[in-house]
Amino acid sequence: MENVTSLSSEKIIHDLLPQKFGKRGMIWTSVLILLCLLGAVAYFRQLKNGLVVTNMRDYASWGIYISNFVFFVAISLVGSLITAIFRLANVKWATPLTRIAEIIAVSAIVFASLIIIVDMGRPERVLNLFTHGRIQSPIMWDVIVISTYFVISLLLLYFPLLPDLKIMIRFKEKSSNALNKLYRFQGSFWNGTAAQFKISERSITILCIAIIPVAFSIHTVTSWLFATTYRAGWDSTNFGAYFISGAFLVGAGAVVVAMYIFRKFYQLEKYITELHFEKMGRIVVMLALLYLYFNINEYMVPAFKMKKSEEAHLSGLFTGDYALMFWFAIVVGMIIPILLLLFKKGRKPLPMFIVGVMIVVGAWFKRYLIVTPTLLHPFLPIQDVPANYHHYFPSWEEWAIAIGSLSGALLIITFFARIYPIIPIQETITEQHEQDEQNY
Amino acid sequence: MNKMNRIIKIALAMVVYIAFPVNLFAQDSVKNDLNLSLGYFMNNNKVVYLKATTKSKIKGKFVQIKGIHINLFLDTDSTANLIGKVTTDDKGIAKAVLPPALKAVWDGASKHNFIAVSEATKEFESTTAEATITKSKIVIDTLNEDAVRSISITVTALNRTSWEPAPDVEMKVGIGRLLGGFLTVGEEATYTTDSSGTVVAALSRKNIPGDENGNIILVAKVEDNELLGNLTVNKTVRWGEAVKSNDGFFNQRTLWSTRFRTPLWLLFMAYSIVIGVWGTIIYLILQIFKIKKLGTATT
Repeated sequence: MENVTSLSSEKIIHDLLPQKFGKRGMIWTSVLILLCLLGAVAYFRQLKNGLVVTNMRDYASWGIYISNFVFFVAISLVGSLITAIFRLANVKWATPLTRIAEIIAVSAIVFASLIIIVDMGRPERVLNLFTHGRIQSPIMWDVIVISTYFVISLLLLYFPLLPDLKIMIRFKEKSSNALNKLYRFQGSFWNGTAAQFKISERSITILCIAIIPVAFSIHTVTSWLFATTYRAGWDSTNFGAYFISGAFLVGAGAVVVAMYIFRKFYQLEKYITELHFEKMGRIVVMLALLYLYFNINEYMVPAFKMKKSEEAHLSGLFTGDYALMFWFAIVVGMIIPILLLLFKKGRKPLPMFIVGVMIVVGAWFKRYLIVTPTLLHPFLPIQDVPANYHHYFPSWEEWAIAIGSLSGALLIITFFARIYPIIPIQETITEQHEQDEQNY
Repeated sequence: MNKMNRIIKIALAMVVYIAFPVNLFAQDSVKNDLNLSLGYFMNNNKVVYLKATTKSKIKGKFVQIKGIHINLFLDTDSTANLIGKVTTDDKGIAKAVLPPALKAVWDGASKHNFIAVSEATKEFESTTAEATITKSKIVIDTLNEDAVRSISITVTALNRTSWEPAPDVEMKVGIGRLLGGFLTVGEEATYTTDSSGTVVAALSRKNIPGDENGNIILVAKVEDNELLGNLTVNKTVRWGEAVKSNDGFFNQRTLWSTRFRTPLWLLFMAYSIVIGVWGTIIYLILQIFKIKKLGTATT
């Protein structure tokens, strides 16, 4: 909390305790719930009629659902970046961002798991993974690492929350009875003794160490779902690093967007300061450059060789049907953010918010471009398929489910911010005291 | 003017014909012809069954017709002689075996007439097919003279009460292969029984792969004989080369094997990582309980 000028503990608690939804909050939440319901209706139709309601066919058997899955997995990496890496590196300024990053990670990983089940068509068959699963299959590895990452992220969210739960129990008049019951259930045993702090701090350190390889695994394994198959656009030894760099970028972009929104609507200017945007801006530009570097590797080298088997895929991206989307993802998702963030004015809150949105939207389309165009150009084309099999555009049910899942992830974050402090209160107070002592 | 009117009428007729390509002038009630055929089958002198097939010529091509209900009778189309009611499947085929209730009728004569009557549908009229057969037997035996292996097949037909040789019966003699395949024993495609009702076919093929004990199945087939119907007889002999199935490939521990044949290195790595990480997670969950215990004790 480098920029927070001597605030009393009471003031910090008052500012950071969860706030009830205002009018805008109610509208926002209602819209998200409606979008989720629309997604649920579309999913009901899919369950009733089968995957035929989608536009996925023999060629594009992975469509918008898998694109969404890869997007969610990517965005979830931010939990390990902000929370674990910064914490282990003793980066103090990132404290107000840790919980934002963790809840984004948890909500994203929840919907990554759900969207995969949606893509299966027959949800009950998920049990087959446990009864007939083969450890040789990267899909099995993905199931293992996703569930592991989810549990670790939850723990990393819970341990630092314990002192804050005690504070919320203390200020019970600020919350409803139901919420107070929840707080008591989750944290009434926290007394803030030295022994409890010691165990908690040690557990958080272990979690921070554990989550980094698991987070890297989840992204590497997800990339291997593609790279272990022999297809144009996926047949790459670079895919793991390519996915991880992209995941860091979109995750950081999402945190920037969330920082701006929480700062603006929860009046957290004293806690999420311009300095945070400045520093996040530097990190984002570095990550965008890194991801751009991997993109150049992924596309320029195959394009230089232009093997016959990959020509249709690459031409489709560079100048064909997917050119607009491809250049949008590259230019809007990477190049413009880099150019903007290189300047100090570009790292102010509003420009950073716009850049964050550009990165997240660009990243979503990038995932779509990774998944679908490759499937439309198999090495061994299927004979005598209907003409529409050669193209893919999601049906309304697919759009509704995808948008519903994105809304669901946002809804989790929204409800979390309603129930728990989105900035760690106890850690903020502690750091404030440390800062005061230094000043004194 | 009359000429003009005639041209207009012809033109109008052509327009109507082009605009309505369906045959407007055809009668909707005209039904397609159903081609119903009936065959008698006997395997190894034991299993006797009837096979009815239905097809129809639609748009110039014969198409199997499914879902046709057929009543099968023995000798007369009376309820007492009803063999069974069957329905054709996707391939236009329906089968029925002789019920025990008709044993007395079956045993009572050397010749029988089978009758199939299809029920009328919206598309097809009712139609009838018949198949007349003489009861017969087919016996297969093996000969091994002068190091030449031969197969002897004898066909006899029932004449009133006595079994008499059936001459001039054409048949195929061969070796049964996997998935219903058939390999002739020699160069001849078919053989015909002599006056004694017998065929002798020499096995000219060498090194025929058999099962793991060298067993092969000799098969003799009489197909669509006017008097006898379809007869098949099999005999298993140890005339083939013993083939030991090489399942070593499937027993390997590879990345493409079943889950019970996972490579050991992968199992070791995967379980080490899973146990290591989940062990840590369980430890951390236990820490929560430890914190809780400390808190409760302090309170």
